[in-house]
Amino acid sequence: MIYAHRVILGLLLLIGMTGFATADSGRIVVDLSKSNVSITSGFHGTDLLLFGAVDGDIGDDILVVVSGPPTDVAQRRKANRAGIWINVETNIWQQIPSLYSVLATNQIEQITSPEVLAELGIGTQNIGLKIVPETPIPGQAPPIAADFIAALQTNMANIDLWSNEIGKVKLTQNALFRAEVKLPANIVSGTYDVRVLQFRNGVAISEDRTNLYIEKGGLSAGIYNFAHDYSALYGIFAILFAVASGWLAAAVFRRK
Amino acid sequence: MYIYLPIAEISMHIAIIIGLGGGVGFLSGLFGVGGGFLMTPLLIFLGVPPAVAVATEANQIVASSVSGVLAHMRRGNVDFKMGGILLIGGVIGSSLGVMLFTFLREVGQIDLVIKLSYVVFLGIIGFLMLLESARAIMRTRQPGARRRKLHQHNWLHGLPLKMRFRRSKLYISALLPLGIGAFVGVLAAIMGVGGGFIMVPAMIYLLGMPTSVVVGTSLFQIIFVTANVTFLQSVQTQTVDFMLAGLLLLGAVIGAQFGTRASVLLRGEQLRGLLALMVLTVCIKLAFDLAIRPDDLFSVELVK
Repeated sequence: MIYAHRVILGLLLLIGMTGFATADSGRIVVDLSKSNVSITSGFHGTDLLLFGAVDGDIGDDILVVVSGPPTDVAQRRKANRAGIWINVETNIWQQIPSLYSVLATNQIEQITSPEVLAELGIGTQNIGLKIVPETPIPGQAPPIAADFIAALQTNMANIDLWSNEIGKVKLTQNALFRAEVKLPANIVSGTYDVRVLQFRNGVAISEDRTNLYIEKGGLSAGIYNFAHDYSALYGIFAILFAVASGWLAAAVFRRK
Repeated sequence: MYIYLPIAEISMHIAIIIGLGGGVGFLSGLFGVGGGFLMTPLLIFLGVPPAVAVATEANQIVASSVSGVLAHMRRGNVDFKMGGILLIGGVIGSSLGVMLFTFLREVGQIDLVIKLSYVVFLGIIGFLMLLESARAIMRTRQPGARRRKLHQHNWLHGLPLKMRFRRSKLYISALLPLGIGAFVGVLAAIMGVGGGFIMVPAMIYLLGMPTSVVVGTSLFQIIFVTANVTFLQSVQTQTVDFMLAGLLLLGAVIGAQFGTRASVLLRGEQLRGLLALMVLTVCIKLAFDLAIRPDDLFSVELVK
């Protein structure tokens, strides 16, 4: 009897759990076609396939956020001084994503509200951008200036690192999704964070994350590491190389 | 085929880099100039970070000066004593220049200083050269014109530490070439040039050196000044892109051969007049960039 009770209890629990899952929350898993990208000499940007499965319903939306390793960005403003345009102001944005792109199955406004996005920290306006002035005012919090943020978004988009456009995510049968993640040629090496969310009726009901590792590889990594780890030796090597090739050029030229 | 430049950290088409080297090499062969004053601004226009453009170009000039100086050495057109004094000044000046460069880069004004230096020096040199070549062309049309004296002594030659420079047939103060070397060294470090376009007129008009030894001696000292810049930039800023320098060099070597062959088709003063026009064009382009309101007042740079 005790055994039968247990079985029934177990079955009830199981039904309850699956019932709960389909009624309120979905489940989402994500992966990438490659989780390691190496920047070699032939690197000119690349596209990665992002794919995954979702326990979805009709009308569900998928939203993908790719953000690059945090880095400091110096933003400069030009003004006219004595007839020429010079940098008059510098702001250092501290530890902001070196790459930021959002991909979705729909237009953002149709997926959810700005408030929900703010709460989830999605979109460059919601990642807590703070300006550190060159001469910080003691006892005051760093200012958040709207036009500086707008300019930053434009500047970063111009160098292909942030995207103002929403990329496309394709969802089939409310179960499988895929998207192409574009990595520009000037990406920074480091760990990239890929975040995938499932939205239903404007609410994020499930989420999954994965990482993408980008590192310099091959000859270009060799040169970069040589230049940074043994910089004096690198300098001497560069000079010797130049002298040798200059000599060689002169020798070839003379023979002709 | 694109190639990822490890220090510049950008991807560029290999044909563009070699083509750029070839084009500038052609002009440097044609006019007998180093070409740094064209290469560095062009690299910056193409999106290479200014710091990398300047330091890498210094590395490339080492090679082109070595190949250039060998021909002059064979003809005995190098005044090693004068070159030695100039290069002592040059090494001091370029070391100061790299320090100044590092400082200006930190405060975000390096682009401005690079561009302003170009506008000022290319403007002055281009204008003077244009004037001089116009006068030379006029002179060939007036056969009875008076010849200039070989060189005139001025008060600068009489400063202390007088030295005899046999090859240049001069007995002048060593402080003068030392000062000129230092001044050109600062410019070489900041502008990413060899500085021949300032050194050569300075040698002729300020030092009074015979024109036959001017180019060889200038090239000789440029090797050491640009080698010093290459070394210091490697150590201090890690901005020397070895791969970029190598590819530019490949193009430049080929281009220079065609340029040298083409140069026999034109007369000396015509060549100088053309060079002056080219120098002024680069100058005006840079001046416009500074004077015209940029499309975007804001710019960003990733700090590492």
